[in-house]
Order: sequence, then structure tokens, then C-alpha cells
Amino acid sequence: MERKICKILKNENLSGNYYFLILENNFKKIFKPGNFIHIKIGNNFLRRPFSIALFDREKIGIIYKVVGKGTDELRKKKKGEFLDILGPCGNFFPIYKNKKVCIIGGGTGIAPLIFLSKVLKKYGNDVYFFYGARDKNLIFFKLLLTGINYIFSTDNGSYGKKGNIFDVFKNFEENFQVIYGAGPEILLKKLSIYSENIPVYISVENYMACGMGLCYGCVIRIRKNNGYEYKRVCKDGPVFKASEIIWD
Amino acid sequence: MGLNLEITLGKIKLNSPLILCSGIFGFGNENIKFIDERKIGAIVTKTITYEPWPGNPQPRIYETNYGMINRIGLQNPGVFYFMRNIFPKLRKKYKRVFVSISGRSEKEFVEIIKIVSKKRIDAIELNLSCPNFENEKKMISQSSELTFKIVKSVKNETDIPVIVKLTPNVTEIKEIAISAEEGGADILSLINTIKGLAVDFKKMRVIDGGLSGPSIKPVGLKCVYDVYKVVNIPIIGMGGITCGLDAIEYFLVGASAIGIGSGFYSNPQIIDDIYKTLKNFLRKNKFKSIREMIGLLNEKKENF
Ligand SMILES: Cc1cc2nc3c(=O)[nH]c(=O)nc-3n(C[C@H](O)[C@H](O)[C@H](O)COP(=O)(O)OP(=O)(O)OC[C@H]3O[C@@H](n4cnc5c(N)ncnc54)[C@H](O)[C@@H]3O)c2cc1C
Ligand SMILES: Cc1cc2nc3c(=O)[nH]c(=O)nc-3n(C[C@H](O)[C@H](O)[C@H](O)COP(=O)(O)O)c2cc1C
Ligand code: FES
Repeated sequence: MERKICKILKNENLSGNYYFLILENNFKKIFKPGNFIHIKIGNNFLRRPFSIALFDREKIGIIYKVVGKGTDELRKKKKGEFLDILGPCGNFFPIYKNKKVCIIGGGTGIAPLIFLSKVLKKYGNDVYFFYGARDKNLIFFKLLLTGINYIFSTDNGSYGKKGNIFDVFKNFEENFQVIYGAGPEILLKKLSIYSENIPVYISVENYMACGMGLCYGCVIRIRKNNGYEYKRVCKDGPVFKASEIIWD
Repeated sequence: MGLNLEITLGKIKLNSPLILCSGIFGFGNENIKFIDERKIGAIVTKTITYEPWPGNPQPRIYETNYGMINRIGLQNPGVFYFMRNIFPKLRKKYKRVFVSISGRSEKEFVEIIKIVSKKRIDAIELNLSCPNFENEKKMISQSSELTFKIVKSVKNETDIPVIVKLTPNVTEIKEIAISAEEGGADILSLINTIKGLAVDFKKMRVIDGGLSGPSIKPVGLKCVYDVYKVVNIPIIGMGGITCGLDAIEYFLVGASAIGIGSGFYSNPQIIDDIYKTLKNFLRKNKFKSIREMIGLLNEKKENF
């Protein structure tokens, strides 16, 4: 993990409360899909975690939704200003090769999945991306890559199938060899059902302090023998096998 | 001769007055990139108990204005696992290792002391702020009698220096500190977190725990200031330190060393920053050592 002061190259509104932030990449480490960065924003005491949506030699990108004071301050940052970044944090999605894989997500969960779709495609996988949004204007077409099969759903039916993305996925006539998910907890819980037969990897969120595996603040319950143990989302995760998680 | 930041805490010599606070750096065996071991005097481990403790269910942390609340609940693998699997790594990595322990009864304290004293540890820190002592909701360090009793029985068991860490949640911390000294404490650590509550209205829940971070610095300073007057043992000052100037304030009111706490989460390079500021401060003010700064803005009370 490194700490870098990164220049903001772009901080633009995508639509609604969603923003796309691009930072100059001055990290030595290679970031992988599922990794997150921990950003210090203004005078807020704790950093804020965000999944990596875009990564290359020059740039690091995140997609964020304004939900509170930290993200509201982030929204106001301008191109040319600097941010204090910790990264890469956490583990990453295991990457299979030459498989038929499903990626499913909604809301801010889309962020790590966009980066993931790029890498999965590179490794010869046949990628199906199930993308759920409330409305057509919350589907970020311009951030999506080519060469991937997209299946969309919107709550109001303004684009793709009407309804929830899980229901669309459930009724889909394909057999997948691996499932990757991120987004609302209710979606992730539902995906766990499939983990009896195939690997299901999901990225989960929790409140964090250190982001480095030190404070034990971000723990979730993971199956162990007949009971459970607490594992840290920031260090042992954020990617877990869906079958391991005991939901509250 | 170049300036150095050496200090002594009773009989313990430290290369630097910067001490890594209990619970902030995990058990200490994690590979933390941002810590230059040469710049810290000692690491205090996360508090270890006799049996493994699972810790509290969520929620465990929440941000507050200029601080945070935690209720981790001493998640730890127990003293046997710790001494066998974690301690040896710490011993290799850090010059000075202080092991923080807590117990639910006097007997538990004594049992743990017997086990940890078998290895070469530099000091034991008694975390007397654990709220479930003998099934009462009270902390040991909220009672002068209990503090005296526990410190004394621990001291009877071991020759290793004993640091006593106190809660600020008391009517008069001087009295508790005096009892700790009378019980045989070699060093005091001030302060542990302050009781506090945060409301997470998004999830409609409260986080009832201990407050740390910059918002508690004035409380930490006041405790060190008051206690310095009435004890003859060194004090490790902590609470809300986020930069070198904060550390200097603690020295000036009587701390012999300072603890790096949750400020590390905000700025993982805090150790380098504080170290540099201290060196510059000594040079600028023509101090030859940290010792010359200690208690400059305070005085010992006579015949307390
Ligand atoms: C591994 C991980 C990856 C994430 N990736 C993204 C992403 O790609 N895009 C995105 O928009 N959001 C993401 N989040 C959620 C994001 O961290 C929160 O929305 C953000 O911290 C809210 O900060 P705030 O100050 O605006 O909100 P406030 O509610 O004012 O924050 C108060 C406190 O609660 C914490 N908090 C509030 N909501 C969350 C949450 N959902 N998860 C974790 N902490 C929270 C804040 O960090 C802060 O400490 C991710 C979270 C995690 C754990
Ligand atoms: C997440 C967290 C865990 C802590 N765990 C312990 C612990 O196990 N034992 C202990 O004596 N103090 C513990 N503390 C208290 C700190 O060691 C320190 O006394 C306190 O945080 C005040 O310093 P600060 O304001 O610089 O953080 C913990 C604090 C935090 C924030
Ligand atoms: S946020 Fe500190 S351990 Fe995960």
C-alpha cells in the first residue's frame, strides 16, 4: 500500500448524484479489480473508501455517488487540485480464463465491475454484464467497454427490461461458470443462492476507519466450522465468496 | 553531536518518544508500510485477554466531528495464541515491545502476567478501562481501590515494568493515578478513549463507544497536566495527537513520551511528520533533548 498526493485530472457529473473522478496515477503498484482507494477529503477525520473503476498507467478512476458530507465535498473538488490517496487497498476478484462469466451489479457497485469486465475480457472470457439502474440516465454508457454482452434493466422501464436486475438474471437462459457481483446488499444476498453450484464472488461494503486491517472496525461474519469468525472487509475483503458470508 | 530524541521511561531507554498506542496498529505483526521502526520508541500491542474474545457485533466504528467512536470490544485471539504465534514476530521487528493486557477478574490478570512474563517483553501495559470487570459495568480505573489492588497483585507477580493506562471518565483522575503509583505502577498511560455516542441516522442506529481523535486532545492534556503534579512516575501522553505541535504540547505539560493513536488513520505518515517537527523544534529552541521540554509549563505540587 502506498500514500500518494494525486492531481485531479477530471471530476465530472455523470448524471443525478453520480460523479466520475479521474486522478493522475503516480502509484508504483498495479491495481486490480476489486481493490479500493482510501481518500482523505477535507477536514473529515476518517478517509473514504471507493472501488477502482478505471486503471491504467496514467490514470486512476472512481465512480462515486454523493450521499453525505465527504462525497459532497469531493464533488466540489476541481481539476488541478490534489487529493491524498491510500492504495491499493484490499483484495481483488479472482480472474478466470476462457469461461462464460456473469457480472451483475447496480448503483455504485457498477464501479469495480467496469474495471473487472475489462480484465475478464482480456483473459478470453465470454462476459455477460447484467447492469441494473433506477432510470436510463443512470446507466453510464460512455464508461462501458465494447466486446461485452450487456443486459440492462431499469426500475421504471426507461431502458432494457423493466424491474430488478436479479430477476432478469434469474430468468436468463445461459449457464454461467462464474458469477461476480457488487452493489446493493439485497442483490448480493440473493446471489448467494447460486454459490452452491458455481463460484460466486461479491464485493461488500462496510464502514471503515484505517482501511489497512489494523482497527478491526470493518469486520463481517464469515462461516467457520459450525460458527463464525470476524473478517476485515478492508484487508480480507472487500471481495468474498458469497457462500462464506453470514448476513445480519 | 547530532540531535537525538532518546528518552527514558523509568528504567526503559527508548530511541524515540513516539509510542504506538494500543489497539491502533493491530497486534503489531501486520506489515505496515508506513512505520519506520527507527523513529518509534515502542509498540504497544492491542489488548490481549486470557481467553480469545470475538469482539463486538457491528456497528463498531463511526466518524464524529474531528474524531471517531469505536466499540471494537477487544477482539483478540487470547494470550496463549498471542505469545506463541504473534509475539515472536513483534520481538524481531521492534526494539521495544509493550504488551497490553486486560482481565475480567484479579485472577485473570495474574494468570496472564504469569504467561507473558516468561518471554522477554519490555513492559506490560494494564488496560484498566475494560468495562466488564467482575460482571459489574464499572471499569477498574474508575475506582481507586480496585486500581490499587490490581496493580499491586500484578506487581507481585512480575519484575517487568508495569504501565497503567487510565480512563479519563472519572471525577478526579489524580486520585486514581496516585492509587496506581501506590500500587507500584512504573509508568502511566493517559488517556484511553472518552465515552461517547454517535447517531447514524441513515441506518437508524447509535454507536455507543469510546471517542478518540483531535476532539479529545484538550481532555488528554488536562489529565496529563493534573496527574504530572501529583505523581513521581513518568507519563505517556496520548489523545488526539495529529502533528508534531500536538506532541510538543503534551511534553510541555508533563508527558515523557507520547502515543500515536487514531491520527494514524487520517495520516499514515504521521510518525515521520512528528519526528521531523520534534527535531526541528529542539534545534530551533536550543533544547538538547526531549527531557528539557518535559513539564516546562507545569510544576510538581509539594506535599500533595
Ligand atoms: C470497499 C468499498 C468500496 C466502495 N466503493 C464505492 C464506489 O465505488 N462508489 C461509491 O459511490 N461508493 C463506494 N463506497 C461507499 C463509500 O465509501 C461511501 O458512500 C462514502 O464513504 C460516504 O461518505 P460520505 O461522507 O459522503 O457519507 P456520510 O454518510 O456523511 O459518511 C459518514 C461516515 O460513514 C461512512 N459511510 C457511509 N456510507 C458508507 C458506505 N456505504 N460504505 C462505507 N462507509 C460508509 C463514511 O465513510 C463516513 O465515515 C465503497 C465502500 C467500501 C467499503
Ligand atoms: C480502534 C481503536 C482501538 C483501540 N483499542 C485499544 C485497546 O485494545 N486497548 C487500549 O488500551 N486502548 C485502545 N484504544 C485507545 C487508544 O490506544 C488511545 O488511548 C485513544 O485512542 C486515544 O488516542 P487518540 O485520540 O490519539 O486515538 C483504541 C482506540 C481505537 C481508536
Ligand atoms: S477499516 Fe480498520 S480493519 Fe478494516
